[in-house]
Amino acid sequence: MDSVTTHPFISFAPAMPQAPRADTQAALVSFFQDFGFTARGDLEKLAGWILGTRELSLSPEAALALARWRVEGWLAEVLGPAHVGPALLVRGRAAFVLVGGARWGADVLMRAPSSLPEAWRRAVCEAVPMSAPAEVPCQMREQVLVLNPFMDMLRRWLRPAASQAGVSPSR
Amino acid sequence: MNAQPYTPALARPRRVMVLGLAALSTGFASVEMHRLLAAHGTTVPEMFVLGLFALCFAWIALSFWSGVAGFIQLVSNQRVPGLRWPTEEEAAKPLSRRTAVVMPVYNEDPAAVFAHVQATYESIAATGQLDAFDFYVLSDSTRAESWVAEELAWSELCLRVGGQGRIFYRRRSDNTAKKAGNLAEFCERWGRRYDYLLVLDADSLMAGDTVVRMARLMELNPGAGILQVPPQNVGRSTLFARLQQFAGRVYGPIVAAGAAAWQLGDSNYWGHNAILRMAPFIEHCGLPVLPGQQPFGGHILSHDFVEAALMRRAGYTVWLVPELGGSYEQPPPDLLAYAQRDRRWCQGNLQHLGLVMAGGLHPMSRMHFLMGVMSYVASPLWLTFLVAGLFAALHEWFFAPATLLEFQATLPGGDAFDTVGALRLMVLSLALLWIPRLMGTGLILANREEAARMGGRFKLVLSVLLEGVVSTLMAPVMMLFQSHFVFGTLLGYKVNWSSQQREDTDLPWSEALSRHKWHMAIGAVLAALTVAVAPGMLAWLSPVILGLWLAPAISVFTARASLGLWAQRRGLFLIPEEVHPPTVLVRAQELAEDELEPVGDALDHVLTDPRAHALHLALLEAHPTASVPVALASARRKLLAGGVEPLSPQEKSAVLLDARTLSELRGRRLGVQA
Repeated sequence: MDSVTTHPFISFAPAMPQAPRADTQAALVSFFQDFGFTARGDLEKLAGWILGTRELSLSPEAALALARWRVEGWLAEVLGPAHVGPALLVRGRAAFVLVGGARWGADVLMRAPSSLPEAWRRAVCEAVPMSAPAEVPCQMREQVLVLNPFMDMLRRWLRPAASQAGVSPSR
Repeated sequence: MNAQPYTPALARPRRVMVLGLAALSTGFASVEMHRLLAAHGTTVPEMFVLGLFALCFAWIALSFWSGVAGFIQLVSNQRVPGLRWPTEEEAAKPLSRRTAVVMPVYNEDPAAVFAHVQATYESIAATGQLDAFDFYVLSDSTRAESWVAEELAWSELCLRVGGQGRIFYRRRSDNTAKKAGNLAEFCERWGRRYDYLLVLDADSLMAGDTVVRMARLMELNPGAGILQVPPQNVGRSTLFARLQQFAGRVYGPIVAAGAAAWQLGDSNYWGHNAILRMAPFIEHCGLPVLPGQQPFGGHILSHDFVEAALMRRAGYTVWLVPELGGSYEQPPPDLLAYAQRDRRWCQGNLQHLGLVMAGGLHPMSRMHFLMGVMSYVASPLWLTFLVAGLFAALHEWFFAPATLLEFQATLPGGDAFDTVGALRLMVLSLALLWIPRLMGTGLILANREEAARMGGRFKLVLSVLLEGVVSTLMAPVMMLFQSHFVFGTLLGYKVNWSSQQREDTDLPWSEALSRHKWHMAIGAVLAALTVAVAPGMLAWLSPVILGLWLAPAISVFTARASLGLWAQRRGLFLIPEEVHPPTVLVRAQELAEDELEPVGDALDHVLTDPRAHALHLALLEAHPTASVPVALASARRKLLAGGVEPLSPQEKSAVLLDARTLSELRGRRLGVQA
């Protein structure tokens, strides 16, 4: 069965301005620090982007799920369908950090990828770490070496039932 | 172009000449030695001495005649027969087969490793044939700091050269079978993607056009299993290393051309700077684990000779192709590092003794095993020969009634001693050692441009003489080192496979004195014995005694880069690669000077640096470990309890292998539980 990524459930309660929970705010700050953002303004902006204008009283877990969902959507569009999968966030984040995406400011994540300069998008794509290509498994069989064929022959002649003591493989 | 196919008949006359002349020389020298020893009849100890002499002499005679073959090969300026070389038209075509360029590393300096990878990568790119190559850094690093630094260096390299998808990095957390296991694991996972495998060492460097020509030769010679391009020592500044580089440049070509000339398609593989045919390598070169305990049993340590033998057994040829050039490595920086490397190689080569008789191997493969063994066993044999000679003389004194004066008269310098005959034999032995050096020097002197690139003819000759003096003084120390390694290995001495020292750092006197104290003591005992028993032999033994006494000073002074550079400024021990360095070498040196981000504590770095954290987690995600390391539980206990108890190296590695723990710890560092 194909898996389907769904939008995490968020309860849209009637508008009732609330201060964001400190732990939620901190969780989001931490999340975006992992992307290389350090400026306080950028981090607050990004937290605000996730929490929305009404600053719902989300739990840290729900806020992080929402943040992941938003960033994954952004990364999927930037990197293309080939990278979509369970590792999208981890690999995309690595690409973003390696290319120094945080220097473009918080807006870079908040904007639609299609509106970003092509060079930025290409830079992120090219920075996706690819440590190895797809494997083509095979077995390198341990070779058999009869270490002393003459002794082996003699041993077999003297004791036909004797085991092959001079044969090298470990198994 | 030489399209003559390789057959055993092609090699036979060459082998008969080299081996036959070596046997004849040994026979002649042994008869002469017997004549000297039998002046007063032959005793049993003297027969033992004669046997040792014959064995040792056979070794230098084989090296000599191989050198002569190399000299003839170089003077004739022809390629060895049996390999098909590309025509100009063929050489201009794009490569049609794919090659994996692999560099196994083990706790090396990442700056140097990745500088070499980048220089080789750029050099291949400059040939326009980059599409035929992929690069792999295969890490077996056990130090967490090396591991994290390698990851960062790899990602930086990929970004710098746009190498994502072409330059790969893989780390094994389990070092089974060491370097051979590292390569085998690569072959089992990605080998089938490639036709050829180019193996580099951590300090290897290869010019792009050489690599392309190697791949081309493999395409044109489907029967070739391995092509080995002898690496040339370059790139170091210490006096010791510059002496090695110089000696390799003057005498190396003769040695390599000689081996290539008489071994032809039954040559050997030296473990790196070589290209291998992937399919037969996977099919026929899986190394067995030898029965029994170390030093002869267990995993094969020096895998290269065995892989070459297995490749040859499968019907594929193995070639030494020195004429390709463009193949480099770095020598050890000092005598102790050189000895450390020898200790490792010694056990590996001695292990091959158990394979000499193995069924189905080509006779030349057996010979390679024996030659590898002899390259270390020759030292203890010479030592035993010297001690046995002394014992034989004392034996004669004890069992034949004679006064001390009569006895001394039978020793070198004495009236009853055949000084002329002994000198003749000594001169012959020295000639066998020195003539290949002189032939190498002569070849360079005959080439005005080459001589100019080595400091000019006068400086070249002066350098050869000085190098001869220093290597003569070092020879007794190396003999004792190698004898110690051989006896130690045979008695169950375990080899610790630590990574080589590759930096040009000064050697402290304390270390040199500690390593050489027994050498100095042996020198003192030898001098005292000689003065007491046979003062006439003192002059004969003076190079040995001096070498042993001066061992710490030789080690310390030759380890100095300042002295090496001083000699370089005065035009001594110059090699063309120092005067007109090839592009790939210049580039590698430039890149190696670039400082990499230091990784003081791997775990701390991964937890505090967002780049290291993100990259490390991405690489863990790509290659998750199959099992949870045992040390993870205790590490988590220590870390998550917030204690200050330090982690063991195993615990640190275990944490670095676990993405969940890393994320939790990073969250804590940032002030929040993720």
